[in-house]
Amino acid sequence: MGSDLGSRVSTLLEAEPWVGRLLGVDVDPPRRRLRRAEFHLVSPTDHDRLVELITAFNPHIVVHIAVWEPFSRATPAVARQLTDEAATSILGAAAECRALESVIVRSGIEIYGRAHGAPTRPDESAELAPTCEYGRMQLDIERVAASIGARIGVTVGAIRSATVLGPHVPSPLGRVLRMPVVPFSVLADPPFAVVEDREAARAFVAAARRRLAEPVNVVANGAITALQAARRGRRVPLPLIGPEWVIARRLAGVFGAPVPDHILEALHRGRLADNSRMPELLGFRAESTTSEVVDKLYHWPSVVRTPARQQVA
Amino acid sequence: MTDATYEARVISFPGSRGLTAVRRTAASAASQQLSSIGAGAVDDWGRDPALVRATARLGRLRWNTLVGGQHHLPSQAGALIVVNNRRFALSAAFAAVALSESTGRPVRFVGRSDVAPLGALARRLGGLLERPDEVAGALRAGELVVMASAPELHPRRVGRVDHRLIGAAVATRTSVFPAALASSPWARSARIEIASSARPGRKRRGPLIELELADQVERRIGRLLAELGGAQTGTLLDWLPLSGMGAS
Repeated sequence: MGSDLGSRVSTLLEAEPWVGRLLGVDVDPPRRRLRRAEFHLVSPTDHDRLVELITAFNPHIVVHIAVWEPFSRATPAVARQLTDEAATSILGAAAECRALESVIVRSGIEIYGRAHGAPTRPDESAELAPTCEYGRMQLDIERVAASIGARIGVTVGAIRSATVLGPHVPSPLGRVLRMPVVPFSVLADPPFAVVEDREAARAFVAAARRRLAEPVNVVANGAITALQAARRGRRVPLPLIGPEWVIARRLAGVFGAPVPDHILEALHRGRLADNSRMPELLGFRAESTTSEVVDKLYHWPSVVRTPARQQVA
Repeated sequence: MTDATYEARVISFPGSRGLTAVRRTAASAASQQLSSIGAGAVDDWGRDPALVRATARLGRLRWNTLVGGQHHLPSQAGALIVVNNRRFALSAAFAAVALSESTGRPVRFVGRSDVAPLGALARRLGGLLERPDEVAGALRAGELVVMASAPELHPRRVGRVDHRLIGAAVATRTSVFPAALASSPWARSARIEIASSARPGRKRRGPLIELELADQVERRIGRLLAELGGAQTGTLLDWLPLSGMGAS
């Protein structure tokens, strides 16, 4: 509930007539005003408190969004640790709840991997062979959720979303594309797809409402390459061939846009997914295209730092 | 009172003529043609329509391609088109670009590499990996997909048709269309003839249907090639639109 996506999902769930009580836990407070939801600031490492809160609440549905994308809000190592801790404690606690009927987890299309010869646009039935750290994290979450679901007999659905972009979403890809100079692979410049935060949040709510019992790809229509994105955003495209990516990656990190391995992989090998099952499984189609989301990315205002009128300390 | 600049303001004369003007016009036209490449967006599979159009325009300088039988193809639904393949002719890519032009629909081809930069370029032109799941995904999405049979040295022979890819069409209940591609490395004319969809002779419940359908498609492409006929001399005479394929 503390992330922008989590807050957005909570706001939408509050508006759903079938939702009775709503409980949220996170390490950060919600980003939006919530009217009905009950929020608890708990660290994922505080297993006892999490188990106590969740078992006392005894939910029918658990929507598990606690996935830290590397270099979004935490370094890759911390993101991995927080994601593992949250998955084990939250899903483990949910398994103890007798009323539990359905579990929805957040995953991503990084789970399919981009090895040579891997399908260009995998659908939900494609082999899961992640080739980056973030993909492996997602695979672990899906495995934990599936094993819990099989053990206690509840349905498990997974939202495999593309990179989520939004005006307040801390996205490493968004930061890279908004830099004044955007690096791109001149030999490949492969296409990738993204999804807007609004639609990702809608997918979680629809999955919970429909008690989704299988994975679904949530991706905006169309695709774009880094060069095309840079040109649309009137950025300076920087063509790179190979070894200089190491320097570009470090420089980007210095300038506040660290590039994790899954973003580097997307810029080198592309990242697409088949979203044709969204209407069947979630009841809606992706409305915006990847190009539109990237256009919006360039129009969202930057953070404006306003100095205090009066220095008090 | 006379206005010295009146004529210059009111009357505009034709632009400068000569080699420089022609060069400027050509450069401006070329920049207009190429400006859309890399500026727009690629589609769901990474195909760049602007690049495909530019390739087709470039291809017309070399090939005079006639496409027949495209009325057999569905106007909206997906279809798998199987063409014969002369070695080193890139038949599937050639047919896909030509069919894109004639049908006005994006046409993809099977058999791109997954190694940059050639694989990346082929993807921009609509290339798909030679994987049944990749082909099935495109067919399920209602795309026209061209695949080629195994390459043969002789232009009138048809190589084996990969039954695994035919299986993708069977799994997605998509029609399979045999097509003959007649071209020569020396001639300017090329022709693509699409036949009506192939239907399995018997109802099968198992994977035998893929094999039978692949065999049937192979036979029908052979027949189409035989029907196309036309002597090809492989000399400069083929470039003259006098008779045979491409004759007006």
